[in-house]
Amino acid sequence: MSVGGNPWLQTHWDWHVALNFLTGGAGSGLLIVAVLTGMPLTAPVLLAAALIGIGLAQVSLHLGRPLRSFNVIFNPQTSWMTREAFVAGPLLLLAVIAGAFDTLVAGLPAALCAAAFIYCQARILKESKGIPVWREPHIVGLIITTGLAEGAALALLVALAVGQVEALLPAGTLLLLLVVARFISWRAYRGALDGNAPHEALNVLARAEGPFVGVGLAVPLLLLGVAATVPAAREILVVLGALSALLTGWGLKFVLITRASYNQGFAIVHTPKRGAGSGGIGSKPGW
Amino acid sequence: MTRYVMVADLERCVGCQTCTAACKHTNATAPGVQWRKVLDMEVGAYPDVRRAFVPVGCMHCADPPCMHVCPSTATGQRPDGLVTIDYDLCIGCTYCAVACPYQARYMIEKPNKAFAKGRMRNEFQREEPERRGVAQKCTFCVDRIDYGHANGLTPGIDPAATPACVNACIASALQFGDIEDPQSNVSQLLADHKHFRMHEELGTEPGFYYLWEDV
Amino acid sequence: MSTQSDETTKKVPTYCYQCVAGPDLLTVKVVDGVATEVEPNFKAAEVTPSAGKVCVKAFGLLQKMYNPNRITTPMKRTNPKKGRDQDPGFVPISWDEALDTIAERLHDVQAKGPNDDSGYPRIAASFGGGGTPTYYMGTLPAFLASIGPIDFSFGSGQGVKCYHSEHLYGELWHRAFTVAPDTPNTEFILSFGYNVEASGGVCGVKRHADARARGAKRVQIEPHLSVTGACSAEWVPIKPKTDAAFMMGLLHVLLHEQRKRLDIPFLKQRTTSPYLVAPNGFYLRDPETRKPLIYDLNSKRAVPFDTPDTDPALEGTFKVSGIEIGADTDAWEHRQEKVIPAFQKLIDHVEPYTPLWAGRICDVHHKVIRRLALEFLDHAHVGETVEIEGRTLPYRPVSIALGKTVNNGWGGFVCCWARTLMACLVVALEVPGGTLGTTVRLNRPATDRALSVKPHPDGYMDYPMNPTDPENWLAKPDVRNANRTLIPLVANSPWSQALGPTHLAWMQQQEAPEHWPQATPPDLWFVYRTNPAISFWDTQQITEVMARFPFTVCFALTRDETNHFADILLPDRTDLEGLQLIRVGGTKFIEQFWDYQGFALRQPVVEAQGDARDLTWVATELASRSGVLDKYNKAINRGAAGVPLKGENYDFTLDPAETHSVEAIWDATCKAASAEITDGAEEQGLDWYKENGFRLADFPRLKWYLYTEIEDQGLRFEMPYQERLMRVGKELGRRLHEQGISWWDEQLEEYDPLPEYKNYPEVWEKALERNFDVDIRDFPFWAITARSMQYAWGSNAGIQLMREVAENVSGHGGIVINSNTVAELGLTDGDLVEIRSPLNVTRGRVEARQGIRPDTVLMIGQFEHWATPFAKDLELPSLNKLVPMLLDLTDSTGSGSDLVRVSIKRVENAR
Repeated sequence: MSVGGNPWLQTHWDWHVALNFLTGGAGSGLLIVAVLTGMPLTAPVLLAAALIGIGLAQVSLHLGRPLRSFNVIFNPQTSWMTREAFVAGPLLLLAVIAGAFDTLVAGLPAALCAAAFIYCQARILKESKGIPVWREPHIVGLIITTGLAEGAALALLVALAVGQVEALLPAGTLLLLLVVARFISWRAYRGALDGNAPHEALNVLARAEGPFVGVGLAVPLLLLGVAATVPAAREILVVLGALSALLTGWGLKFVLITRASYNQGFAIVHTPKRGAGSGGIGSKPGW
Repeated sequence: MTRYVMVADLERCVGCQTCTAACKHTNATAPGVQWRKVLDMEVGAYPDVRRAFVPVGCMHCADPPCMHVCPSTATGQRPDGLVTIDYDLCIGCTYCAVACPYQARYMIEKPNKAFAKGRMRNEFQREEPERRGVAQKCTFCVDRIDYGHANGLTPGIDPAATPACVNACIASALQFGDIEDPQSNVSQLLADHKHFRMHEELGTEPGFYYLWEDV
Repeated sequence: MSTQSDETTKKVPTYCYQCVAGPDLLTVKVVDGVATEVEPNFKAAEVTPSAGKVCVKAFGLLQKMYNPNRITTPMKRTNPKKGRDQDPGFVPISWDEALDTIAERLHDVQAKGPNDDSGYPRIAASFGGGGTPTYYMGTLPAFLASIGPIDFSFGSGQGVKCYHSEHLYGELWHRAFTVAPDTPNTEFILSFGYNVEASGGVCGVKRHADARARGAKRVQIEPHLSVTGACSAEWVPIKPKTDAAFMMGLLHVLLHEQRKRLDIPFLKQRTTSPYLVAPNGFYLRDPETRKPLIYDLNSKRAVPFDTPDTDPALEGTFKVSGIEIGADTDAWEHRQEKVIPAFQKLIDHVEPYTPLWAGRICDVHHKVIRRLALEFLDHAHVGETVEIEGRTLPYRPVSIALGKTVNNGWGGFVCCWARTLMACLVVALEVPGGTLGTTVRLNRPATDRALSVKPHPDGYMDYPMNPTDPENWLAKPDVRNANRTLIPLVANSPWSQALGPTHLAWMQQQEAPEHWPQATPPDLWFVYRTNPAISFWDTQQITEVMARFPFTVCFALTRDETNHFADILLPDRTDLEGLQLIRVGGTKFIEQFWDYQGFALRQPVVEAQGDARDLTWVATELASRSGVLDKYNKAINRGAAGVPLKGENYDFTLDPAETHSVEAIWDATCKAASAEITDGAEEQGLDWYKENGFRLADFPRLKWYLYTEIEDQGLRFEMPYQERLMRVGKELGRRLHEQGISWWDEQLEEYDPLPEYKNYPEVWEKALERNFDVDIRDFPFWAITARSMQYAWGSNAGIQLMREVAENVSGHGGIVINSNTVAELGLTDGDLVEIRSPLNVTRGRVEARQGIRPDTVLMIGQFEHWATPFAKDLELPSLNKLVPMLLDLTDSTGSGSDLVRVSIKRVENAR
């Protein structure tokens, strides 16, 4: 229905695509954090590879023509989706090697690939000119910081799961820094979006701000802060803190991709004259 | 050089959707898919209200975001400005659809079926299987343009070389032609009218001009 | 794509005449025997006013033809019970069984006599779409003509959905069944709800787009910002049904503030303005010649109107002698009596109707009314001339157009009169740039409106009124809507029945008025391309009446709400499947003004679907089986298929005793058409037309302008004073009262020589309160409707493509309500609401828009289908269900308006 020209919620990219951003971001973040914190690489890196692989695999299966998935690599000149695919191959390979052999020789380049991968994902959204809340340049910082925060949260959970107690402090510290960075990125992103996106999209983001951004900052800070001072409840507090950082990041990206993704809509600069009348002001409905 | 553009005279357009329907016939698009359509926009508050009818579709941008993001190079651009889709290359990722700020792209997976009771003979006749599961949009009726070139006809002037929406427009609101030719119908119209393009601030350099007042 | 030209692809020329704004020519692309695309007929681009193009509706024809919901074989009803809640139990039957069953009924009718005990025809037929079904029904008219009197009065919208007052008064005053601006030459149009961009077809849209590009100004005066309002330079949101007051205000400015700027010489010579009005309201006449008198300022005496070299007085009071002839045999002799020229009467009459008065009624600032009156004058170019094909004519590029609801029902007379008078005051009637008639349907001959101009002894055009004198008045109606009995103006042409008070036919089936023949249902009812069960008013009552008709034959595209009550369904060939030659060109309805005239062929573009047979075959078979073949063939020979088969230089008549094939009948028709257009020199047949599609000859532009005929015959426009109508009204009143009939008295009041403004909104309010025992304050909104180009006529609500594209246009999704009103009612866009009138209730989704008055709601189209496949799932509202058929809301021409008061209530839990 085309009455009005208002922006409407895009439906091309649904939860299948969103999942790739959720798992790909968190997986890449995990890999980077694991390497940075010097954790034993096997568990975190294999988990990271699995997350990244699952995201890519299921998004490929939901292509209109999945059998042609290979064609995704044809446009490295300008397409960040091609570049993501280019990075994904070495990333997965290096991650598996690093995981299998727990070697920094593979872990470092894998982390670099993961950084490139997360950057590609951020740029994929930024280059989506049809979706105002995606094309805002600050989305790059937001996607990267939230991916890294999710990665740090996962690193904490992995460390606890496999008993790498020595990784808790660096990973926890990193997580605290990253949720703050994510919050700062969000503020910059939201500030830049004001007046640059349809009302409906901004309303969705406004509604998401409390549960995802606020909680995503406050709860990890609080729980991890308390965990540092209350050793008895440390593990449960770390788990809850990490989960809150992870899930709020995922929630935010899910909202961003599937709920706030109102398209540009239509606009006219002038209404026309009609016969002897004169032209009038234009309209950008929904903005 | 040649650059084909569409010109819509908003003073003439009455929003009748004849172009929409003609496009749907010519291109056998699925129910709900409108490569060409006309918006019905309202501006102002009662009683100072205006209502404008605004044809939209693929703007065949000079700097098309859809092409830049396309990972398979299925979306391309011809020297004459037409933005094209190679249905055999497209993987159906719909990245182009979210990159297009004009909401011009669609992807349909099922064969056309207008009535629940059964498919019609014309729907079987115009099956177009290559268009399932890939991106699709207005082509500016590219095969008519190519037919015109092959037969010495002028796109925008000779009906056989002109997009169906332009041929069908009962208000002569839609015109098509080569903007690089100063003598062309579209160049003349642009010279005689004040005009704008949609979302020009996004830097896409759309090949679709809206006339709104005489110069 | 259309550029392929291999052997399996062809383009077949045909026409679209789904609405009265047609016909338009087109081609259909056929690939491997399947129709795939509708396209303009580019070969007709230079010779048609539509530039060879068709509107959006023609693109629905493919889906109409291939619609899987079509009825493709004859069917019969197996459930004898009829009702909306009854399953008809239709089962397929053979054509033989279907036709024999109908023929048996026809034999019964012939045996009993054509009329029943009430004097009404036993056979009735209903067609839709302003006569357009005629252009699809092949030789069915020849069959109907051969089986005796038919009652066409069961309307499917006539009188309530048409330009009704305009039809009657338009034909009276300037041979204008419909009225149009001379759009190609106009500068300024005041459009009172004339929704030309939705209802004017390709010609209307194109001509007005060209006019806009030329800088013409159109002002749309209408309660909502319609498509046409959108395309106008200015929108004036007037209160519903107060247009007459607005126009009176305009007249006041012209006559009381700007009188010197009017075209005084024209008013003196070409209108009845100087005719002297005697004390009883009739013209003062010369005792010897009985001609109306004028007061000659040169000789200072009263002389017959046609006395040469006079300077007739328009203003003043004069003491003169003469006779006055009233109704029936009434006559008075006056000696030195004070008499007044009609024009002075007019001036006095409009004095109270100031813009201030009008503005308060219309809810429009009085300055706007005055400004528009002045703009009208400014653009009239009084005194200027233009040359058309060597003849000099007044150039008056101003026009006033009236839409439905404005010129329908109470107030329609005032509006039509004021519009025509406004034109006359500056000679903008039937001249280049001005207000023009298009075609005639009540006057004769129908093929040439100029030839229908015949002089009346009183100096203006004659008119074929139905008689009202004691000897000739048709006291006992011959059809169920009593058109000739009640409506003198409706004349007695083949179109007249359909323009009677068609709701009277439906209403009487429930309850006959006093002193009136007992209403009877027809023994046999034919229904072709119409669906009154949803397209008329009070649809619940209509369907209850239909259920009581004993035998109904419906030509059916799909199942629908009317054929739900049928006994026999005959599959209709769609527009792209039948064969027929029609006349095109000249000047036709709405804005069809051509520079050519001739013929166009409709032909099967592909084989018909299923077992749908050509209607000409059906008609021939019915004629044969009911024993009227001879009469049927003779009717065709006379021209019942559109062209007389015999002319001065040619003879293609069919043997009346033989059964002729469809192709043979149309081949003869094509040959006669070619011969007619070439004075017998050529005789191309069906094959030629199948290949070429159309054949045209020149039509002189001068024939657009009836002024030439008026001038050549030395006639006057019958303006401003309606002496003739007053006489007819008084006579009609006497005849009715002699029969004891008083239920038409309010209608008789309308026979005013100078119409007075009544509080029309209040007329509706009071009628609703009276008839439904309600407090009108409980129904605070006016509900109106508007035309949809995408849907109007042609069963398009059941076509998916039409639905899809119509949704792009505001109003097609539900009920348009002012955004502020929506907020005040605590509603939001998209809410499901119940719209209730005193009669009934309908439902739809809120479409909040700024472009509508806060006191008005708009429901486009006439939906609420409950049987038509696809359409019944649309969940759209319909005004028709809400509007009652009331005698109180029927004007003297037998028409009513699409207007009712409603309340709005949210349907809870329905989002």
